[in-house]
Amino acid sequence: MLKPISIFGGLVLWHVLAIRVINDTSLLISPLVVIAKGYDMLFVTADLYPHLYASSWIFLQGMLLATLVGVPVGFVMALNPAVRDYVNPWMTALYTTPRIAFAPVILLWFGIDMASKVLIVFLGCVFPILINSFYGMRVVSREFVEVGRSFRLSRGRLFLKILLPASVPFILAGLRLAVGRGLTGVAIAEWFGATEGLGYLIFFAGQTLNLPILFVGVAVFAILGIAGFQLLKIIEDLASPWRKELAVK
Amino acid sequence: MAGPVLELRNLTKEVPTGNREQFVIFKDINLSVKEGEFVSIVGPSGCGKTTLLRVVNGLLPPSSGQTLIDGKEQTGADHELVMGFVFQGASLLPWRTSLKNVLLGVEGRKPPKEAEEIARYYLNLVGLSGFENHYPHQLSGGMQQRVNLARALVVDPRILLMDEPFAALDAQTRTFMQLELLRIWSQTKKTVIFITHMISEAILLSDRVIVFSHRPGRVRSEFPVPLARPRNLDIKSDHRFVELENVVWKQIEEEVKAAVGFAKL
Repeated sequence: MLKPISIFGGLVLWHVLAIRVINDTSLLISPLVVIAKGYDMLFVTADLYPHLYASSWIFLQGMLLATLVGVPVGFVMALNPAVRDYVNPWMTALYTTPRIAFAPVILLWFGIDMASKVLIVFLGCVFPILINSFYGMRVVSREFVEVGRSFRLSRGRLFLKILLPASVPFILAGLRLAVGRGLTGVAIAEWFGATEGLGYLIFFAGQTLNLPILFVGVAVFAILGIAGFQLLKIIEDLASPWRKELAVK
Repeated sequence: MAGPVLELRNLTKEVPTGNREQFVIFKDINLSVKEGEFVSIVGPSGCGKTTLLRVVNGLLPPSSGQTLIDGKEQTGADHELVMGFVFQGASLLPWRTSLKNVLLGVEGRKPPKEAEEIARYYLNLVGLSGFENHYPHQLSGGMQQRVNLARALVVDPRILLMDEPFAALDAQTRTFMQLELLRIWSQTKKTVIFITHMISEAILLSDRVIVFSHRPGRVRSEFPVPLARPRNLDIKSDHRFVELENVVWKQIEEEVKAAVGFAKL
C-alpha cells in the first residue's frame, strides 16, 4: 500500500531542510522548485518526454531480456548440478564485479547505440532474477515433490504442477530486486556517450550545476522505481492469490 | 479366492552411514494384505515404519526384497498409479484450492469434466462440500487432513497407504477423524495400511494390528482384532479391546526398553 502521508511527510522534511537548514540553492533546493520544474518539463516545454521514453524503453527491454534468460538458466542450474557447477564461478564473478567497470568496454564493443545500453541494463537485472529462480526451485519443499512423485506425475508435470508454482514467489522477489538494479543500469548506460535519457539528463545537469533539472531526473527515477514495484505487486497478487492472506498483518 | 492385494517379500532397507557398516532401517519384512483389509502397523519411535511405507510407495528404493500389488512387482516410482498416499503433514499445495488439490492425481488422466466430478464426489465423501474453493491455509488441521485423504482416494487406488495421518491433530479432532475414517472406509472398502504410534487408534480402526520391533524394524507379532464392525467409541471399553491394547503396549514397552541399549529416544 502506498501511504500518501509518508510521501508528503518526506517532502515536508526535505523542504524544511532546504529552506531553514541549508538555505543555499546552489547546494539543495526545495521540492517545490523541483515539482515546479518537473511540471514545466512535462506540460510547458515538454522536453522531459524524449528522455523518459528513451530510458523506459531501455529499461523494459533490459528487464524483459533478463527475465527471459535469467529464469530458464536459473531453473536449469537448479535441476542439473553439472550445469550449476560450470556456470557458478562465472556467474558469481559477473554478479559481484561492479557493472560500471563493464560499461566502457561494452560501449567500446557495441557502440553507443541501443544495444549496448540494453546490455548494461540486462547485466544488472539478470543475476538477481537468475539467482532467485535458482534458489526458488532448489528450496521447493521435499514434501511437495514427494506428493508429486507419489501421484506418479511425469517429469514435465512435476515441473509444471509443483516446481514452477512453488518457485513463483522467489522469481517475483528476484524481479523486484532487478527493478532497482535495472534502473541503476539505465543511469550508468546513459552516463557514457548518450544524447538522451534520464541518465544523460542527470549527468548533463550535474556538469552544469543545474540543480532543478538534476533533481527532476532523480525524482523521475524514483517514481519509475516505485511504479515498477507497484506493478510487480499487482502481478504477484494475480499470480499467487493464496499468499495475500499469509502476510503478517 | 483371489490372491493378496499387497505382498511384501523380504523387504529390507539400509542406508550407508559413512562407515563401512550399513545402517539397517528395517529388515526382511514379509507381509500380505487381503482385499478390503485394514492393517495397522504400530511400533516404537524410529522403528522404520514410516520408511517402510515410503519404500512400498516407491518414494525410496528398497535395498532388497520386493513389493507386489496384485502379484505384480512394483519397481520404483515409475510404475502406474495404484497406491494412494496420505501424508503425515497434510502437505497440500498452498497455491491450489481444496478442489484443485484433490484434482492433482486425476487431472491429465481423465477428461477434465469427469475428473472434476470425481474430485467433488470425494470432497463430499470426506465431508468438505462447500469448501471446494478454499485454500489450505483457510482450513483447520482436521479439514486439511480430510483433503489429504480425498486426494489419495480420488485416484481410486488398489491400496491406501496412510502415514500417521492424524499425528499432528489435537486429541478431540483426532478422535473425530478416526470415526470419520471408519465411516469413509466402510463406504469405499479400500485396502488400507495405516501407520500409527497410537495403539488404541490402531485397534479401533483395524482388522489386524502388526507390531514392529525396535530398529532394525521387523514384524514382531500380529494380532487380528476380534471386534465386529461397524464400530464406534463404545468398543474402547470392551474387554477384548482393553486386553489387546495391554498386550500390544507390553510388547512395545519391551521394544523401547531393548532399544534404549543402543539408541536414546
